[in-house]
Amino acid sequence: MSSAVQLYVSTLLIYLGVDIIAALALNLQFGVAGIVNFSFILFQAVGAYVAAVLTLGPSTPPPAGFQDYVLGATLPYPLPLLAAAGAGGLLSLAIGVVGLRRLRTDYQAMVLLVFSLIATIVVTNETGLFNGSNGLSLVPKPLADVLGLSPYDIGYQWFFVGIVAVVCVMAYGVVHAITSSPLGRNLRAMRDNEHAAAALGKDVTRLRMLAFVVGGALAAVSGALLVEFISAWSPGSWFLPETFSFFAAVIVGGAGNNFGAIVGALLVPVAFLEATSFIPTFGRAGLVESLKWVAVGLLIMIFLAFWPRGMFPERRRRFRASRTGAASYATAPSPCFVRGTDQPIDSTLLEARSLRREYGGVHAVEEASFTVPTGRITGLIGPNGAGKTTVLGMLAGAVAVSAGNVLYQGAVITRLAPHQRAQRGLIRTFQQSSEFTNLSVLENLVVAVPRARGDGLAGALLTKRYWRGQQEAEVDRARALLERFAMTPQQDELAGSLSGGQRRLVEIMRALMARPQLLLLDEPMAGVNPTLARRIEEHLADLRADGLTMLMVEHELGVVDRLCDAVIVMARGRVIAHGPMSTLRVNQDVLDAYLIG
Amino acid sequence: MSIVGSSIGFGLITASILAIAAVGFTLQFGVTNILNLAYGDIMTAAAFAAYFATKGGAPLWLAAVAGSLSGAALSVLLNRFVYSWFARRGAKLFAMIMVTLGASLVLQNGMTALFGPDFVSLPTSVGTTYQVGPAIFTGPQLAIVVLALLAMAGVHSLLRYTRLGQAMRATATNPDLARSCGMATNRIIDAAWLLSGLLCGLAGVALALNLSTFTTGTGGTFLIPVIAAAVLGGIGQPYGAMLGALVIGLATEVSVTVVSPSYKTVVAFAILIVVLLFRPQGILSEVATAKEIAT
Repeated sequence: MSSAVQLYVSTLLIYLGVDIIAALALNLQFGVAGIVNFSFILFQAVGAYVAAVLTLGPSTPPPAGFQDYVLGATLPYPLPLLAAAGAGGLLSLAIGVVGLRRLRTDYQAMVLLVFSLIATIVVTNETGLFNGSNGLSLVPKPLADVLGLSPYDIGYQWFFVGIVAVVCVMAYGVVHAITSSPLGRNLRAMRDNEHAAAALGKDVTRLRMLAFVVGGALAAVSGALLVEFISAWSPGSWFLPETFSFFAAVIVGGAGNNFGAIVGALLVPVAFLEATSFIPTFGRAGLVESLKWVAVGLLIMIFLAFWPRGMFPERRRRFRASRTGAASYATAPSPCFVRGTDQPIDSTLLEARSLRREYGGVHAVEEASFTVPTGRITGLIGPNGAGKTTVLGMLAGAVAVSAGNVLYQGAVITRLAPHQRAQRGLIRTFQQSSEFTNLSVLENLVVAVPRARGDGLAGALLTKRYWRGQQEAEVDRARALLERFAMTPQQDELAGSLSGGQRRLVEIMRALMARPQLLLLDEPMAGVNPTLARRIEEHLADLRADGLTMLMVEHELGVVDRLCDAVIVMARGRVIAHGPMSTLRVNQDVLDAYLIG
Repeated sequence: MSIVGSSIGFGLITASILAIAAVGFTLQFGVTNILNLAYGDIMTAAAFAAYFATKGGAPLWLAAVAGSLSGAALSVLLNRFVYSWFARRGAKLFAMIMVTLGASLVLQNGMTALFGPDFVSLPTSVGTTYQVGPAIFTGPQLAIVVLALLAMAGVHSLLRYTRLGQAMRATATNPDLARSCGMATNRIIDAAWLLSGLLCGLAGVALALNLSTFTTGTGGTFLIPVIAAAVLGGIGQPYGAMLGALVIGLATEVSVTVVSPSYKTVVAFAILIVVLLFRPQGILSEVATAKEIAT
């Protein structure tokens, strides 16, 4: 190869490596965790700035020198790279604390976008920070002096390709360890349905922050490598649309798929934006550049329209067949789906004290007080609009109370978040299907396992060896449950492709995998065919025999009659009666509520 | 003449442009639930339409009409051929925002490719200046304020006294309820895009009039303050958007007396962040929980 070709190829390879790291980082945030991070480029920028100032040595402000900046130092390689990662992580943490609150996706994207815009203005105007709009230049190339190579030598160029390759492989290792682990499964569940994930005990705030910080640190590493290669960095290097080229890469490659992100990086930022800058320009100055960004916009829209899952759709995870042979529900000890309790049967497990909920002056629930006894199935019935689902929401923590208290095992839990209640064994199901659509049926079940090995960052980075053993046991447990509910043939299908009735089953099985102590069921048989409904009914009766306590909202009075030990009747936001079905049937208030409404 | 006085004057002009744009933005967002990131670029397109009209010899008022109409046309077409296609297929929020972002990239860079990156200006004569209280306005600036007042009066009567306006307000407050009451929501949605585009176009022309020169990126940079005004007022609340525009317009211009002018826009950005984080339903709204703005 002539040296010109070598220069061209090695330069493209370096850009490719840098863009792959960035695309993997954004894929973790956007593709896996569902964060629309419109400030992405800011994290690449901070990594570049930090790596630059820690290589440049002390600031040399004018008139003696020509660039003024903070933190000037000359650290040995690869400390500047590591410091950049740290800075990216810290900035993510700071912005995440403010920007990752529970907001609508598009509002959250706006908040993050605005952070990026503010940062550009600040960096441009505070000239003492990173030398303002002129930016930093003459950043020394790492290790060139140690190697005794001229940084303009083709040999050094290939050496730098090596550095980028090593960092790239490490970045892939980190991202792959996360996405393939129980932690990655939790992230994907949160992305598909945040409320359902929280109701299973997942701390979604923490999960989102974790993906944001790891992604931010990796983005910063990509920026550090970039500045070490091009030796200069200014606000013009990280203008807003760069963020969108990485979004295009992730969407084109396949959101949620690491391999897709790599292909996306190869196609969009490299082939499309970098490689084309070497072709001869035509038309007026800047025309090619504008047309490139038109194409990026079109790519995003066309892929979302026709191939929303990208060129390489997210992999559907399959689990290996059990080593111990197909475990069956019959052989599995039943209580493995129920959290053990030392509460004596019929003692109060949950108590609602004068719960009230208003929406802008309208009372959805005016006054609800009742108890749920241990080891029993309690029914919650009433006409439409009586406030049953709102009460369930207040018990589970999804709906804040306007007044009143919730007591669980004698402790007040009114202020606890949904995931904290779930971690104590208070698990709910939803009235509307809330399966994790892009997870397989089996994954939907396994994701519910509380405190799984490898569901934290450290555990995930310890890779499969650390968490595989426990996961296999849980997969066996899930398979036993699937067999019991006759859903084994569907175990590898995406939950989003199931029928309505099958989704109800997945929802119930998933709740059981979370080892509930008290199960709050919101119309578990709605939209289910009668045969299936009958089977669900039998299962619920069996679970009661295993010691599980349940509170069940149900419309079908026949089911309530057969299944429930005691029944709470609500109408117009109030509890109007409480007792066994036989006495309620002759209660005039109840009859009036049902007949008059 | 005091600096505060004149900056209040500038603030009123900025607020006038913001009000036209923010009312258009909030009407459409409220009715369709689509946060349209291409809105600023439609403003730019309208400004260029007016610019080419004046180059063709049209008087300024006719150019403004041409600008507004092209804004309306672009807005309706964008919805008909792009956004509604995704909306009908039940695109999720994250997909929708990416689609509007893509539209913004295509529009803005497409215009740069067509019209070039240079700054252009509408032929306005400063002419006589008018002293109003402590502030001095040029003719075009006064025209902007009057235009804004007329537009607001027009929107007010439309929303208040016509069936279409009432249907739009109802849809913005609770789309599901409006649909189940038998309102033809598709027609209302089309009307919302049309009206929003008309206001957007007018705001684009006003912005170009106020700035001595503009370029293909002008509308895009103006978008965040527009969104800030709309969000501050509460999405789907036109009167809130007017109030929000007044607050943002005055706050950004008066801030110049305290901080460096380079940080003028940061004031609007900061207001947007604070409102989104602490009162995403806006200052005038009670419907946040019904529309699940804060999940």
